[in-house]
Amino acid sequence: MWAYVVRRLWQMIPTLLGVVLLVFVLFNLFGGDPAYVLAGKISNPEQIDNIRRQLGVDQPYWVQLGIFLKQIVTADFGASWSTNEPVSHILATRLGPSLTLLVPLLIIETLVAVGLALAVAYVRGSLTDRAVMVVCTVGLSISILVYIIVFQYVFAYKLGWFPVQGWGDSFWTNLVRYASLPILIGLVVSIAPNLRLFRTFVLDEINQDYVRTARAKGVSENRIMWVHVLRNASIPIITHVMAALPGLLIGAFLLERFFSIPGIGREVILAVERSDFPVIKALTVYVAVATMVVNLLADLMYKAVDPRVQLE
Amino acid sequence: MNDTGTHSLIRPALAPRAVAHTVSPGLWVLAWRRLRRDRLAMVSLAIVLAFIAMMILSGLGLIARDWTREVGVNYAPPTFVGPDATEAAPAPAATAPGPAAAAPPPVTGDWEAEVVDPIGDVIAELRGAPKPDSGNTATPPAAAAAPGQDDTGFVDPLADVMREIEAARRGAKSPPPPPGGTGAAAVDPLADVMRDIEAERGAAAAEHGSTRRATLPFGADKWGRDVIAKTIKGSETSIFVGIAAAFVATLIGTVLGAFAGYYGRWVDDALNWFYSIFSSIPYLLLILAVAAVLQHKGTMTIVLILGLTGWTGVFRLIRAEYLKHKGREYVQAADAIGASNARRMYRHIFPNVSHVVLVQLSILVVAFIKSEVILSFLGFGVPVDVVSWGSMLNEAQNELLLGKWWQLVAAGVSMALLVTAFSLFTDALRDALDPKLRGSEGS
Amino acid sequence: MAHDLPERDLAAAAAASDPLVQVRHLGVGFRLDRDTVFEAVKDVSFDIPRNATVALVGESGSGKSVTSLAILGLLPPENARIDPRSEIVYAGRDLTRLPRKALAQLRGADISMIFQEPMTSLNPVFTVGFQIEEVLKLHRDMTGRAARKRAIEVLAEVGIPEPERRIDYFPSQMSGGQQQRVMIAMAIACEPKLLIADEPTTALDVTIQKQILDLIAALQKKHAMSVLFITHDLAVVGEIADHVIVMRNGEIREAGSAAAVFGAPRDAYTRALLQCRPSLDCRPERLPVIDDFLGREGPASVDIPERARGVAPDDAIVLSVRNLSKSFHSRQGLFGRREFQAVRNVSFDLRRGKTLGLVGESGSGKTTVGMTLMRLHEATSGQALFDGHDILALSPKAFLPYKRRIQIVFQNPYASLNPRFIVGQILTEPMDIHGIGASAQERADMAFELLAKVGLPEASFYKYPHEFSGGQRQRIAIARCLTLKPDILICDESVSALDVSVQAQVLNLLQDLQAEFDLSYIFISHDLAVVKYIADEVMVMSEGEIVEIASSDEIYRAPREAYTQRLLASIPRGWQATRRTKPAPDE
Repeated sequence: MWAYVVRRLWQMIPTLLGVVLLVFVLFNLFGGDPAYVLAGKISNPEQIDNIRRQLGVDQPYWVQLGIFLKQIVTADFGASWSTNEPVSHILATRLGPSLTLLVPLLIIETLVAVGLALAVAYVRGSLTDRAVMVVCTVGLSISILVYIIVFQYVFAYKLGWFPVQGWGDSFWTNLVRYASLPILIGLVVSIAPNLRLFRTFVLDEINQDYVRTARAKGVSENRIMWVHVLRNASIPIITHVMAALPGLLIGAFLLERFFSIPGIGREVILAVERSDFPVIKALTVYVAVATMVVNLLADLMYKAVDPRVQLE
Repeated sequence: MNDTGTHSLIRPALAPRAVAHTVSPGLWVLAWRRLRRDRLAMVSLAIVLAFIAMMILSGLGLIARDWTREVGVNYAPPTFVGPDATEAAPAPAATAPGPAAAAPPPVTGDWEAEVVDPIGDVIAELRGAPKPDSGNTATPPAAAAAPGQDDTGFVDPLADVMREIEAARRGAKSPPPPPGGTGAAAVDPLADVMRDIEAERGAAAAEHGSTRRATLPFGADKWGRDVIAKTIKGSETSIFVGIAAAFVATLIGTVLGAFAGYYGRWVDDALNWFYSIFSSIPYLLLILAVAAVLQHKGTMTIVLILGLTGWTGVFRLIRAEYLKHKGREYVQAADAIGASNARRMYRHIFPNVSHVVLVQLSILVVAFIKSEVILSFLGFGVPVDVVSWGSMLNEAQNELLLGKWWQLVAAGVSMALLVTAFSLFTDALRDALDPKLRGSEGS
Repeated sequence: MAHDLPERDLAAAAAASDPLVQVRHLGVGFRLDRDTVFEAVKDVSFDIPRNATVALVGESGSGKSVTSLAILGLLPPENARIDPRSEIVYAGRDLTRLPRKALAQLRGADISMIFQEPMTSLNPVFTVGFQIEEVLKLHRDMTGRAARKRAIEVLAEVGIPEPERRIDYFPSQMSGGQQQRVMIAMAIACEPKLLIADEPTTALDVTIQKQILDLIAALQKKHAMSVLFITHDLAVVGEIADHVIVMRNGEIREAGSAAAVFGAPRDAYTRALLQCRPSLDCRPERLPVIDDFLGREGPASVDIPERARGVAPDDAIVLSVRNLSKSFHSRQGLFGRREFQAVRNVSFDLRRGKTLGLVGESGSGKTTVGMTLMRLHEATSGQALFDGHDILALSPKAFLPYKRRIQIVFQNPYASLNPRFIVGQILTEPMDIHGIGASAQERADMAFELLAKVGLPEASFYKYPHEFSGGQRQRIAIARCLTLKPDILICDESVSALDVSVQAQVLNLLQDLQAEFDLSYIFISHDLAVVKYIADEVMVMSEGEIVEIASSDEIYRAPREAYTQRLLASIPRGWQATRRTKPAPDE
């Protein structure tokens, strides 16, 4: 087990180097001269030279790469080009709001989708099943933008059930008052694809031989679903949820943007709009690291739920 | 996919035999027959094909060519709603429609200002002012504003257009024409175009004054442009981007996946390393990072961004398929009869995984249309002089607050219709091609 | 033996008066699509007497498994339709009309079932203890502790060593035989009246099969329960069945006491089934096939001269294998590598025009030998001399001309043909690659010729593999090999997946081709009777090593090694060879 973890961590190094290289090539080779991007409206040649020296872009590429690596290792990406806020501070303060929004969303969404998936799979092939699937497909086809625009307009602007936007300092205020409409929209948007996916996971299990064995033992259909099938289907479900986790951090960026939630996703958009390279670079590298760690955790969880898995 | 049972793979030389030699229908033909029996799938296919036909016609300029013409009054409501009494005669529109329209009418106070990026308004106002560097004095300011107004872009659309025209002119003819130099028109290749544009603008201007309609079949946007024409044009962009990017991504994913799965060993290790890099950065973050770097936007740029970042799912699946098929007895039998690696990869295995490729392609088209819409909405997608469903939704966001819902509905519904049809067709296609494949979702 | 025949018939008659289960007019259809229904079982009626073993025998598609699933109501509700005339009466109740809840109460308590694949039939994520206790808690209202105690008891009863420890194992931690024992333990935990066993030994090695059969027989006797034993192999049930029902295409062909069915079969199909399968006692020139029996009136006397098998010392050696070894590696721990030696130091000679049988249980390395000789796996060490060249040491390019001369026929007829090629392409492609035949037309002509040779109509040329049955596909695979005019043909379990009647046809074909083209075969199989029939020499392998090589007759008559003896003792002898005496229920 520990040998496995150590080896997996060891294997992360080349991948991480690849990510660093990719980000470096993207921003330092294709990204144009950051000095011009940064100087922007000022466009004073002297200042540009100054900035170039500060950033080290007048150095050869391998020196720049060295600087970048050092930044990653020391977690010091300098300051944002737009706001002069230290990048590390940006990351630290934006994580909280993102998690306030995402953790409840993830939990509720998974529970609801799993429950519905079992229910729909139970009546598989019936009219209900097909109707739910068609509704899911149609629901999936409407742009998330339409959901957000319409929900915000109707529930917040017209009906006034929720604040239109905003964010406070108290966790509970944020969660109950400001995050509830975004979470609701997130649920509406994400349940359809997950329900479809989880349903196929459940159906895959229902057709397995051990379900027939359970029936032959006289186990009730309910128990078959909730004990035998769910336990097996939870393996791909956990894998899927874990794999979707890092993407979710960014994926909620539209919600964060529309509702002015100062989270990671909104920060990414702002950074891209402002060509704020240090912030994007730092975010990309750290999210990649987080993804790899989450993947490892997913595999360890996999082992916990599936006795067949040998972590070799 | 013909249904007649003939098979082109059999050379005619093999035919002259005294047996009834109708070649059995292949698996594609059988799949097509299964598909044809599925009514829902056929309806979906018809809708998808209609959209694609629309895209082609629009791309060829046969329909919705003059979508930029301001044929209605600002925010002209749909005909079935009836003219809006309060907005029927917008005062500024008659004199200088472009700049005036660019500044959104003041509404709803604080809240609106919060939702819309405050800078956006400032920039929109700035943009509305006549440009000193217009280059060609023959262009009236009102008309100059006509192509592709967009209040979200942070790059001035006008500047881009003008720069391009200028560049084109310089490329064609070394000395730049002096301002107002209409004399150069005789040799200027763009002169004809310009004259056309001017003539059109003249007509449009004439229209503005007198015949801008109070209602349009499905309403108008804030400049009075026909929402239907705009939606058709927007569909063209979004569908083209979706399909083209899906082809790029599927091609990359399939080729790399085939090599990794088939050759294994160090090839697999290397390609897996490459894959792990791309897959460890969340897809949207990767797209945004690339979008941040690539400053010069264009439709092809967005195709490349989506295509170059979206191949990982296809790679994973095709690699697994090749790995699986490589171990199958029929491939080992091909090895035993001396078939080369290339032959086994392309002649033997590929036809057996091609249905997976097709389904992935279909899934990616939908995914990329959705991505394009989001990117364009945020202003990182198509250039500002191009309309797409995303940019329409962006405008619609503010319009909704004024109660002008038609652009939102037009873009939202047409997209939902296409994507629903495409998804249903994909599902049916998957079932028809390989009933066993049912359930493997290409998430 | 003959003396207990009347006695057994009496017992059967007594039991028939009050059978445990009565199946009447059972009909089951499967809806394939909107307007096609496949009639899997047609008007089937039979009884299962108390305290007796009933064997339901048939080839694939005979409807035997569907019948057994119908008794427990386990048919897939989505597309299976039971004929309304059907009745399955157990304890005065018609199971086909029982409400779901009442039926669930019977399942596992009164009637229980075990399946072919123990690996997939056990839930992989629960311990075996959990799964056995579940059935006890369900039907016997046992609490945790009592259920666990009883679970250990039944595990011990089915012969699981150290049941106190194994009860907490997951199914994946056990061998196939042990998994099937766990399935049996689960089935008998509530002491059912009827145990339905659906091909319970088909997926197991022959020695394990023997143990499981003995276990089922012992339990049947001990608990005085009835067993419905579904199988495709008459030899398997010969030893344990009291009554035999032979099914074909959804209908019952013959039913009666074991003595009657085995001793004096009335139905031509039953006779065919009994004789198509190679027997250990004789080796006819060619195996009788179904057509020899069906469509003929009266008792067919299929008298076929015996064929002599064996090698002479002066037979030419075509392939000489010396010290062949093959290891696979897997990773272990942080830096460690685990080595698995699939084949160790194997040496043998193959003689021209002769068949070398290669037998062993799963994991013995017999398939790896074939794959290595084909260079589908790279050998770790050793030589294979063919025409004076070590074909294992040749460069891939230099090997190509030799590659043509060694061909292989695989086990699974459904996977070994490219589903996207028509048969014509499948047959002409090898000639294309090796430049055999001057033109496309010539190659096509040769393909037609070969199709005729393997007994397929010319129209097959234009068809896709999925349009053929398993036996026909195996013929196509053989024809594909013959296009290259090989010297050596490796048959890797080539007839194992086929029904008995089809198996006989393919074996006959192989023998004909061997005679015509002077082919040498390496015939790999787990089926000792088939190997005995077709091989001149037999090589027994176990755990990657050769246990014994001898001529076929010799090894079956007088096996030298203990392992070979054990293997041979496990072969089901069928009805004639051994017959246990079983007291009638009323004694």
